[in-house]
Amino acid sequence: MDTLVARYSRPAYQQENQFDDIEEYDYAADSVSGPSLKFAMPPVAHPSSWLRAATDDRSNPHCPIKIAHGTTTLAFRFQGGIIVATDSRATAGNWIASQTVKKVIEINSDLLGTMAGGAADCQYWLAWLGMQCRLHELRHKRRISVAAASKILANLVYQYKGMGLSMGTMCAGVTKEEGPALYYIDSDGTRLAGNLFCVGSGQTFAYGVLDAEYRYDLTVEEALELGSRSILAATHRDAYSGGFINLYHVKESGWEKHGFTDTNPVFWKTKLEKAEFSNVTSDFSEEV
Amino acid sequence: MYDAPTMEVLLGITGKDFTLIAASKAAMRGATVLKASDDKTRALNKHTLMAFSGEAGDTVQFAEYIQANAQLYSMRNEADLSPSALANFVRGELASSLRSRKPYHVNLLLGGVDPITHKSRLYWLDYLAALAPVPYAAHGYAQYYCLSILDKHHHPDISLGQGIKLLNLCTDELKRRLPIDFKGMVVKAVTKDGIIDIEFDDDKVVHAA
Amino acid sequence: MSRRYDSRTTIFSPDGRLYQVEYALEAISHAGTAIGILAKDGIVLAAERKVTSKLLEQDTSAEKLYILNDNMICAVAGMTADANILIAFARETAQDYLLTYNEDIPCEQLVRRLCDLKQGYTQRGGLRPFGVSFIYAGWDPQRQFQLYLSNPSGNYGGWKATSTGANHASAQSLLKQDYKEDCSLDEACGMAVKVLSKTMDSTKLSSEKIEFATVGQTKDGKVYHRLWSADEITALLKKHDLAKDETAEEK
Repeated sequence: MDTLVARYSRPAYQQENQFDDIEEYDYAADSVSGPSLKFAMPPVAHPSSWLRAATDDRSNPHCPIKIAHGTTTLAFRFQGGIIVATDSRATAGNWIASQTVKKVIEINSDLLGTMAGGAADCQYWLAWLGMQCRLHELRHKRRISVAAASKILANLVYQYKGMGLSMGTMCAGVTKEEGPALYYIDSDGTRLAGNLFCVGSGQTFAYGVLDAEYRYDLTVEEALELGSRSILAATHRDAYSGGFINLYHVKESGWEKHGFTDTNPVFWKTKLEKAEFSNVTSDFSEEV
Repeated sequence: MYDAPTMEVLLGITGKDFTLIAASKAAMRGATVLKASDDKTRALNKHTLMAFSGEAGDTVQFAEYIQANAQLYSMRNEADLSPSALANFVRGELASSLRSRKPYHVNLLLGGVDPITHKSRLYWLDYLAALAPVPYAAHGYAQYYCLSILDKHHHPDISLGQGIKLLNLCTDELKRRLPIDFKGMVVKAVTKDGIIDIEFDDDKVVHAA
Repeated sequence: MSRRYDSRTTIFSPDGRLYQVEYALEAISHAGTAIGILAKDGIVLAAERKVTSKLLEQDTSAEKLYILNDNMICAVAGMTADANILIAFARETAQDYLLTYNEDIPCEQLVRRLCDLKQGYTQRGGLRPFGVSFIYAGWDPQRQFQLYLSNPSGNYGGWKATSTGANHASAQSLLKQDYKEDCSLDEACGMAVKVLSKTMDSTKLSSEKIEFATVGQTKDGKVYHRLWSADEITALLKKHDLAKDETAEEK
């Protein structure tokens, strides 16, 4: 195990010239390296640090692979269940790769997961989580609890810690035993239960609006509006968030979709009808 | 030359006939709070107030240099510079500093009420000498938490009372989400009658949801 | 007596006079008359043109009236060459202020900067003073419409109506007689041509003999200044029955 750790704990900066010296890869050695590594590995000496060096755009802005990072996602518990809302923009560096990404992942008819960080990581592992949940149902003849489902994911990502996974996800579901349950899981291995989470580059903007008016006894209508307005706030201020507002309401009977709504008309409607976003004006254009 | 946002909080809000300026009270060096009652503002003249954050030493030096020049102008000309003129003057000073051997590293909010038109004014300036007239503004991490709140709740013709409520909405969120204690806020309002100190409840405890 | 004291600008005579400055003022009293009148909604500047010739290019050679800045114009009496230096200085000063503050320079500040320069030549040695007086007309948000007069000594003052150049004493007394508080710009224009017609040698005026400019405010509150065209001046003269009889000229 120590050799494994040593192998994957070389910092990225030591891997500067990684991409030039691709060495002969020892597939046989890999087969003994543990059950969690069933992927075909890149043919280099240190796949994880190679991946990190190739994808970490923060330490190396010129990295060859740009992972989709920017996002705003939120979920909060309230009297009527859980609201889950996200934007729909995918960015790779400065490039808007898509405006129609589905960042709410329907794990099954009762459980929702949200997607922040690497899009592929989230899609893959939440699909995998859906499989685990179904297997749990088949094996135990009852629905998995949100706590258990989230822990399966948290344990999984923890196994891959330090190997370049990038995920910030929320699991939301309502069960008889738990009531409305919400968990935050990220690729560091953090798993937190809570009333309210916002994740992604636009999280602070969403938190701002959400915290200011959040109450547990919100009506369903108020809660949906607040969730949607918080995403709008983030898409307005965060360049890496935008596109459509994807809105869900999770109840004990399962989740219910409340639209995939273009932010642009929503913004102008909010500005013109409610006189918000007063900084968007030509009033200041004559000054300075 | 990009600089990571700081934990220092500067907020500015304009309303119908006033401009509110608020600055966090903590003076921090490394992991230490040196002072919990720091006033990061300077009055430039009767109706213009400037709040500053940034590199230790630079901030007060620059602010007082600007303050002295504003007062010199007032004495020489028996008339005060308007907030707009001051903002442009400060921008010019920052711009020439930026290309000097040792640039000032200071971010500013400059708020006031125009002495002639009585219109409220707020200017956002950063150490790269960008200047923008705005209805509300923040510097540091506060931008990330407060601008979305202000986007939603600000209106150009709010009263001073409503402005203070809006400020509370912002500081509550900062207390909730910022990982360190910024020791409350110094709050001042500029009206046509001058600069007033506003009593602000720093002891309110805010719980996260 | 004066010989010993007038060759240097910086030396007082025993009776406390600066002769070079007084000579400069004397030079100005031979220049064409210039007058300025402050109205409640604007200012008019009018000046007598001394150099008139059929051969002179009318529109390219303003002799007496100059634009200093977006908010200010002036009339010149005295040595035009000296005036050009001061006008260039004033224009640069105004632009420098605009660059620093993104606002027009307040009128009095611009006048004072010019007068500081003029004053320097009455104190520092070796050079003669500027042989020019100015009448300034401007507007700023603090003090609205303003009229100033400055002379070679570096003295300046604010006026409701003022004059300089030849016959300025009689012009001044005419202005004092006719000036009405709160008069309109139109009335002030009328007064200006009447005063000029009396102080100038010829009784009948023509557009080539005078220059005319106004500072005013449009309906939406924007301040403008305008140097009048020959046709506009002729129309004004006709309105006040002061135009030279064109048929008489042909005879």
